[in-house]
Amino acid sequence: MPYSPLRLLLDFDDQYQRDQRQSPDFLHRRDRQLALQARQRDGATPLPEDWLRTLGADRASGGHDPRLRSWRRARVLFVLGGAVLGVLTMLGLLYYDGSQRINVTLLLGFAALQLALAVLTTVQAGIGWRPWGRLLDQAGATPSALHDLQPPLAARVAHSGGLAFAIAALLTLLVQVVVRDLAFGWSTTLQTSAPGYHELTHALAWPWRQWLPVAVPSLELVEQSRFFRISDQTPADPARLGAWWAFLAMVWLVYVVLPRLVFLALGRAQLRWRAKRLLARHPGMAALRQRFEQPWVDTGASNATPAPALDQGKAADGVLPESGTVIHWAGAGLADDALFGALVGGERAPLRLEAGGSASLDHDRAVLEQAGQRREPVLVLTQGWEPPTGELADFLDDARQQWGEDTVIALVPLTTDPGGTLSDTTLAQWRRFVDRRQHPHLRLCRVPEVPS
Amino acid sequence: MTTAPRFAVVGHPNKGKSSIVATLSQNDAVAIALEPGTTRDSERYPLSVDGHLLYELIDTPGFQRPRRVLAWLQAHSHSASDRPDTVRAFVNQHRDDPRFHDECELLTPILDGAGIIYVVDGSVPYHQEHEAEMEILRWTGQPSLALINRIGDDDHGEQWRTALGQYFRIVRDFNPVTAPFETHLRLLRSFGQLAPQWETALDQAVEHLRDQRRHRRKRAWALIADALGDMLGHAESARLGEDASRSVLEVRLRQSWQDWQRKRELRLRREVEQLYQHHHLQRQEQHLEWEPGHDLFSERERRAWGVSRAYLATAGFGAGALGGAGVDALTAGHTLGAGALIGGVLGAAGSLYYSSKLDRLNLGPLSSGGREARFGPLRDPQFGYVVLGRALQHWYLITDRNHAGRDPLALDNADSHWLDTLPRGQRHALQKALQQSTRHQDEKRRQALREAVAQAGDAFLQWRRK
Repeated sequence: MPYSPLRLLLDFDDQYQRDQRQSPDFLHRRDRQLALQARQRDGATPLPEDWLRTLGADRASGGHDPRLRSWRRARVLFVLGGAVLGVLTMLGLLYYDGSQRINVTLLLGFAALQLALAVLTTVQAGIGWRPWGRLLDQAGATPSALHDLQPPLAARVAHSGGLAFAIAALLTLLVQVVVRDLAFGWSTTLQTSAPGYHELTHALAWPWRQWLPVAVPSLELVEQSRFFRISDQTPADPARLGAWWAFLAMVWLVYVVLPRLVFLALGRAQLRWRAKRLLARHPGMAALRQRFEQPWVDTGASNATPAPALDQGKAADGVLPESGTVIHWAGAGLADDALFGALVGGERAPLRLEAGGSASLDHDRAVLEQAGQRREPVLVLTQGWEPPTGELADFLDDARQQWGEDTVIALVPLTTDPGGTLSDTTLAQWRRFVDRRQHPHLRLCRVPEVPS
Repeated sequence: MTTAPRFAVVGHPNKGKSSIVATLSQNDAVAIALEPGTTRDSERYPLSVDGHLLYELIDTPGFQRPRRVLAWLQAHSHSASDRPDTVRAFVNQHRDDPRFHDECELLTPILDGAGIIYVVDGSVPYHQEHEAEMEILRWTGQPSLALINRIGDDDHGEQWRTALGQYFRIVRDFNPVTAPFETHLRLLRSFGQLAPQWETALDQAVEHLRDQRRHRRKRAWALIADALGDMLGHAESARLGEDASRSVLEVRLRQSWQDWQRKRELRLRREVEQLYQHHHLQRQEQHLEWEPGHDLFSERERRAWGVSRAYLATAGFGAGALGGAGVDALTAGHTLGAGALIGGVLGAAGSLYYSSKLDRLNLGPLSSGGREARFGPLRDPQFGYVVLGRALQHWYLITDRNHAGRDPLALDNADSHWLDTLPRGQRHALQKALQQSTRHQDEKRRQALREAVAQAGDAFLQWRRK
């Protein structure tokens, strides 16, 4: 089923509103994929209607569109009201009690008024004036896409009502002509001569005078049917007074019914044109085109989940044991003699060893053996700014195995600058490292203050 | 068919490997600062365009026991020609050994053909212990590149460059937290130099990423314009009963109006962050919280992002004149420019009159009886400038933020106003668009606001780059 521009706009706007809840990544991925598939299949970028169909968003493809229900109801009401009003109005205009003739001038004036109203409605819709806008806004529940279409929609309703009015009035005129003896005449306060009035009627009959001369009043008819309110003058031939009806019916048909029909058709075209224009300028349309054209660059970021936060570690700061055995892991603190002096204690001569880093594994094993022979706590100095690695873990596990469960090992992470302190975050990784070792006599110790 | 290039980002633990991957893959969910010893598998971060894989970054665990690995390799190799096979044999031998899990994880993609991106921290001194790692990587025989990432304040880059130059053909400095976007792209291009067959894919990737950034910028400005339009045009309404107090209702409506504005602003923030794939900014603690006192309605914000009365008068005059000139055009110039002049005077007067005025409660009839009380839209022209300034500032911080960044977003104080860089004609157009947004928004006005915001975004960018 072909898509009407109005329904296309409404469906598109609905989908746009739904897409507001989606992530931009998802929308880009979805639409780019659809565009690529369409290009592969049809060799062209999908049209909005194809896009909606693919998404299954063409919900108003059959039957009446519920989003236009209120406008449909208003149209029906206007048509019914217009028809009733048209009958009543024409009956009123043709009211004839036998004392006075029905004034043709009044009927012509009324037709002119109808024409003016029809033109005004069309102009109002054309310039987008919404004198009743506040009323509609208060009523609410209008889809946002319809907001800018209110003037042409309202014009369509008004023209439908006007057309019903005009047709009902014309039919009433014809019925009255058939069932009653109507006597028409013309009268005006202005100083208008019969030839002048005839010229007016002749001009008005321009559209049909060539092919329907019977509906063009003659000069004689105009002269004979003039009447004045304060006069009891009766015409020479009363039957002639009814001859105006054909002219009046044609005036009504050409100047009231047909303009409404034309304006209604124009309004329909205008509605389609504006709906198309609104769709082209819809904020979602530019974004959709961009999504169609822009390659989907996927970094996998939308699917990733961040790593869980790490705790601060449970190992408390241990007391630095009194010991003369110091191992510099990966050269940590090797050049700092003052630090070494502040760390070592006890009566025995201090022993300074080096392991890890660029040393060989055999060298590490020899260091373990040498330190184990002293049977005292061992201080292991490390580069605190570097994270503890598996090699250090291996070294400590080997030490525990070789020195026995009871040997106290103090792990002392150092800072890059002598006298500095490690941040809590950096220290936390050492705490967690000690936790993981599950060594009852492995302590994490801070560097003591070095006297300057 | 050629396979897409892959790059294993390897190195000593905690040297910023994951930060580099996070920034290059635009993924703020990459696990940064996971510590060694915590078992971790390699993570792959592909970059694909329309489903076509262009390259893949592989974040790996750091070396844990490089000396043991090297000792094993040396013990099992007979000549230089069998070194890659020996590395493969090591992985096959130790795949199920938990002690060498990390080494197997990081060596496997390299043995499968991935290029090597070796990362070191240039802010700590070079130490020979890294030589075992570099030697193992050299044994794999794969093309390699070294990145010096300065995590701390000290600079030992020269030492590192000398040492790395002996093992790697290309050595680059790269800070994943502060490096500007163009530097990311240059680095990616240099990855392509590792092997001739990788160059095309990396060049394509760079072009796509650059294009994606342009697209995001446009989209971000459109989001800002839409939010600005919503905020300027918003009104809160309620029914005022016969016995209800007008002042109480005004306070309530003002409060709900302000709450609505804050929520809308926050929604814009999230939209812009999502656009730039900062999905976890909010979860990364309070980093996106603006400092106390930076509330949308605070005096401080008004001073920072609002405009002077002189600016309002001139911009208001310009905006009014633009409208008045339309009247002159309609009369084919017979009004001798009086339309523009009168429009300008009215525009300036209106801007000054409504400046610093909060809206008052408006009362109108209700169709069902009683009265309708409305608060808003706010006609104070300063409000639009404050919202726009804050939105552009946030956008700029987000667009300038790398995905490895974990620091809080900070507002800078500047000596000049960003609007100083906006040409006069564009100022008038902006003022007009802001004024018109307080009335009903049709598509034409929305488009005008989008264009004005795009011009403002350009000016803001120039101002920040000064």
